[in-house]
Amino acid sequence: MSAINNNCEYISKKQIKIIFDGKTYQAYEGDTIASALLRNNIRLVGRSFKYHRPRGVYTCGIEEPNALVQILSEHNEPNTRATIKRVYDGMEIKSQNRWPSLKYDFGAVNNILSPIFSAGFYYKTFMGPKGFWKNLYEPLIRRSAGLGKPPKNFRSKSTHQYHNTDIVIIGAGLSGLAAAKKFINTKYKVLLIEQDSYLGGILKNSNKVKTINGLTPLEWINETEELILNSNNITILKNTLVTTYNFTNHLIALEDKFAGKKIDLNKSELTLHKIRTSNTIITNGHIERFISFRNNDLPGVMLASSFEKYIHRYGVVPETEPVIFTNNSSTLSLLKTLISLGCKPKAYVDSRKKDNIETEIKKFLKDKDISFFSDAEIEGCDGNKKVETITIRQGKSFTKLKSSMLCVSGGYNPDIHLFTQSKGLVKWDKNILSFKPDTPFQKTITLGSTSGNYNFKKICDEINEKISIFKTKKISLDINLNVPNKFSIKELWETKKKSNSNWSKSFIDLHNDVTTKDLKQAITEGFDRIEHLKRYTTNSMGTDQGKISSINSLAIVSKMLKKEISEVGTTTYRPPYAPLSFAAIAGRSTYEFYDPERKTSIHSWHLKNNAVFEDVGQWKRPWYFKASENETMHQAVQRESKMLRENAGILDGSTLGKIEIKGRDALEFMNLMYTNAFSKMKPMTSRYAMMLGEDGMIKDDGIICKINDQHFIATTTSSGAPKVLADMEEYLQTEWPHLQVYLNSITEQFSTFNISGPKTREIMMKVFPDIDFSNDAFPFMTFKNFDYKETKIRIMRASFTGELGYEIYIPPKFGLKLWEEIFSYGKEYNLIPYGTETMHLLRAEKGYIVIGQETDGTVTPIDLNYNWMIGKNKKDFIGKRSLSRPDTSREDRKQLVGLSPINKKDIIEEGQHIVELNELPKKITNPIKYLGHVSSGYHSPNLNHSIGLAMIRGGKNLLGQKFFVTATGKTKNIPVEIVNPVFIDPENKRLTS
Amino acid sequence: MILIKCPYCGERDQSEFSNGGEAHVIRPKNPESLSDKDWGEYVFYRNNPKGIFYERWVHSHGCKKWFNAVRNTSTDQILKVYKVNEKRPDLSDFENTLKSPSGEPLVGSGNFAVKK
Repeated sequence: MSAINNNCEYISKKQIKIIFDGKTYQAYEGDTIASALLRNNIRLVGRSFKYHRPRGVYTCGIEEPNALVQILSEHNEPNTRATIKRVYDGMEIKSQNRWPSLKYDFGAVNNILSPIFSAGFYYKTFMGPKGFWKNLYEPLIRRSAGLGKPPKNFRSKSTHQYHNTDIVIIGAGLSGLAAAKKFINTKYKVLLIEQDSYLGGILKNSNKVKTINGLTPLEWINETEELILNSNNITILKNTLVTTYNFTNHLIALEDKFAGKKIDLNKSELTLHKIRTSNTIITNGHIERFISFRNNDLPGVMLASSFEKYIHRYGVVPETEPVIFTNNSSTLSLLKTLISLGCKPKAYVDSRKKDNIETEIKKFLKDKDISFFSDAEIEGCDGNKKVETITIRQGKSFTKLKSSMLCVSGGYNPDIHLFTQSKGLVKWDKNILSFKPDTPFQKTITLGSTSGNYNFKKICDEINEKISIFKTKKISLDINLNVPNKFSIKELWETKKKSNSNWSKSFIDLHNDVTTKDLKQAITEGFDRIEHLKRYTTNSMGTDQGKISSINSLAIVSKMLKKEISEVGTTTYRPPYAPLSFAAIAGRSTYEFYDPERKTSIHSWHLKNNAVFEDVGQWKRPWYFKASENETMHQAVQRESKMLRENAGILDGSTLGKIEIKGRDALEFMNLMYTNAFSKMKPMTSRYAMMLGEDGMIKDDGIICKINDQHFIATTTSSGAPKVLADMEEYLQTEWPHLQVYLNSITEQFSTFNISGPKTREIMMKVFPDIDFSNDAFPFMTFKNFDYKETKIRIMRASFTGELGYEIYIPPKFGLKLWEEIFSYGKEYNLIPYGTETMHLLRAEKGYIVIGQETDGTVTPIDLNYNWMIGKNKKDFIGKRSLSRPDTSREDRKQLVGLSPINKKDIIEEGQHIVELNELPKKITNPIKYLGHVSSGYHSPNLNHSIGLAMIRGGKNLLGQKFFVTATGKTKNIPVEIVNPVFIDPENKRLTS
Repeated sequence: MILIKCPYCGERDQSEFSNGGEAHVIRPKNPESLSDKDWGEYVFYRNNPKGIFYERWVHSHGCKKWFNAVRNTSTDQILKVYKVNEKRPDLSDFENTLKSPSGEPLVGSGNFAVKK
């Protein structure tokens, strides 16, 4: 039975109600879920990962491997550690990994079958036959995997906060507070970070320290906190956990803004602190470890210092008559605590020899008449879903005791997680039987038990010495203890079992259900390197990262391998220290803030006119316009494409990248960046140009407008603009710093409309009556600037559809007005708006390529038959030399061709392969010869059959030949003829009409 | 996340920068006169040492300036930053420990995180 410690000052006496698995329980404000459940004598809180064994609360902190619950009242948050999550009135909690109920769990059948679920079970079992993995094993494993259920969709308002500081102290326990005291009112900016909502660490969690400087621990904590709060240089962050220690003293800490309160979704519930500091002082203490024995996972087994913490920190004595099992001197304070509250332990079992046990412990046990077993160990415990009997082995005799709780202490590990994340080296300390920090890699100082110093009397000297580099005042601590001064421990990792049954288990990893037998088996099977062993057995791979057990497993493994522990080594510690919510990492970068949307000045018109949008980079571009509610995409695109070639269409091309190139050496620069020759080009003309990489492959294309030799405007693809600008800038800065050229992105300075179709000229003459659009005055690939109303515009004669076309550039402020005006005049000519899909179809009919569709980073201009674009007489341009590499000059490179189906009803699909076989065999035994692929495939409404562009090996010499194109879900291939890729107007009559 | 000192702006988070690969790979003046092998080496071959490495960075979310840095690739320590037009610092200026922080062997990796 549990009892109450009325002296506890950290729990308010305000009673609240919580709901666990549908039942309402009383709790106190300030309780964690675990302390509230223990208060109500609930021991069984969950089922284990693999064997579905009943599990209870094992610890009292972040290291908890068992008590993971789902918080229904917080958007179903799973795998919440009951030992640190604070309750509030009305909190709704559900146990995990059980069906239909916690008490009667169907999955517990795994425990009966456990002899077959040993290490490597999945690797060995789910091997074959072929097809079983995809259809049977994977769905089955997925259904049973994981502990909690995923959370419900919710909108987090988590925020990020940045700090730049001189010193960060991680952990405000005894040494953290003492260290902070040294910095009070100094020139250093200090951040003191505490995971709990109270400062004090071990001082508030245990009875180990009696007095400090004549004050009770609580008085000393309050006095120190007061001093820190009144200082002008130290900030305290409570409820904040440091999870990550990166290079260059970069720390990440997570603050729970609603610890013990119901979350208000209108406020930020989590703050992720990103801290850059000059020095880090780690004082986050130690973690107690367990000992493996038979059924060491039964609800009722708990770490001794956690048991003590529940009494002091939460005012609940989980059990008034527990058995205590230890291998070290630290458990005396628990004994004293229990006795002072009028509770009497059933037995005290110490694995050390009687002579090695401190006299003050022996004397206390004798005085209080507590049953004492020295040189003894717990063989195991038994019971139905809880501890009922405990078997003690002393020499050859066994004693069975009835008790419902067993407190275990297997010693302490310095919490080196953050220190090793910072890349510091650790070493094995024989006196404390654990790894402790040795050589720091960064400016890191460890103090107190984190540094392996378990002697309270020596803490003050350690702090004064290690912090002396900061030249601050010395402090003095006079500490009186309830435990022996000197920490003493005897090595004990696993106790011997009475009999060897296949079903008896002594666990090494409670979270992932790894037993000591699994470790043995893994070593037998050859996984004797610790990193291999960890992955094969999943030891210490749970959400607790084996905080209470990983050193134990190293020790057990080293014994089996007959090596020193320091030779076996530790596995690599990686961030985060403890799981943190994705919501915190994402911060405000969610939903519409995740990736900004870019919209053109015409966007509102597109919306009104039933545009369906496509994402191009960050841009929203109209994909096609729905003429009626029921019109499909195919129908819309066919209609738009036909209408444009008959009348006229207009496209919002504002998203095209535009870069202004200006300066004395602009001409030379452009000649180097692009394949084309610009020297002889006349001012106020434009040219289709290509940019290559140094490997000769096409990177981007666009139209270059030459205003004069010192001033160019380059357009780029919509998504390529930032990269093209960055590449130009890179070459200017690093390779040709002697060139005087300035670059400027002007993409958003202009709205751009591409208007094209046979009736375009008539519409343009109506909209701009003062401008002469005749072929002589305004030939193809020229541009002019005009005054238009209160602004200036530029019109260029260019086309991406193969029809007569113009591009209009206007400042975005006036864009929408001009767009609407064009439509008011265009109505009588049946002008239509069209989207990117129609643009793609029309350009394919004309045989124009699209970067990223016909090209994929392995295509040169020669592969596309674009030899005319290469300025062969230029001495140099980016990628020129590569065009004559043996690989780029191969005859059998994939080259651009057109495809026309022989049966005009067949449909050529994009992405299909081109082969020589008219039919694929039912079962493919030998590889089928691959000739190339279809890069674009459309149904052309103007030719009334399917067309394709393709990249085929040696395609240039295959004109007129017949091949086959594969089709989705069919073995029968489509016969096609290789044709010129220009399907419409090969003579460019329409273009230059 | 490491801290990088931009020679123009000062110390900033790594997230403000982009890495540009090996530094001091100069684009040949007359590519046409190069053999296929030599040109291929310029385009495709880069050093990738464990230890001291001269590399390029650009302050892409800042001043957009390119600069060079000397970094120990095994410890991620940036030992020096310098402007593009400044002289390449001598290799002997730096202590080339060739050691990773966890004391891994020179080639490959392994688990030697513990000092013996």
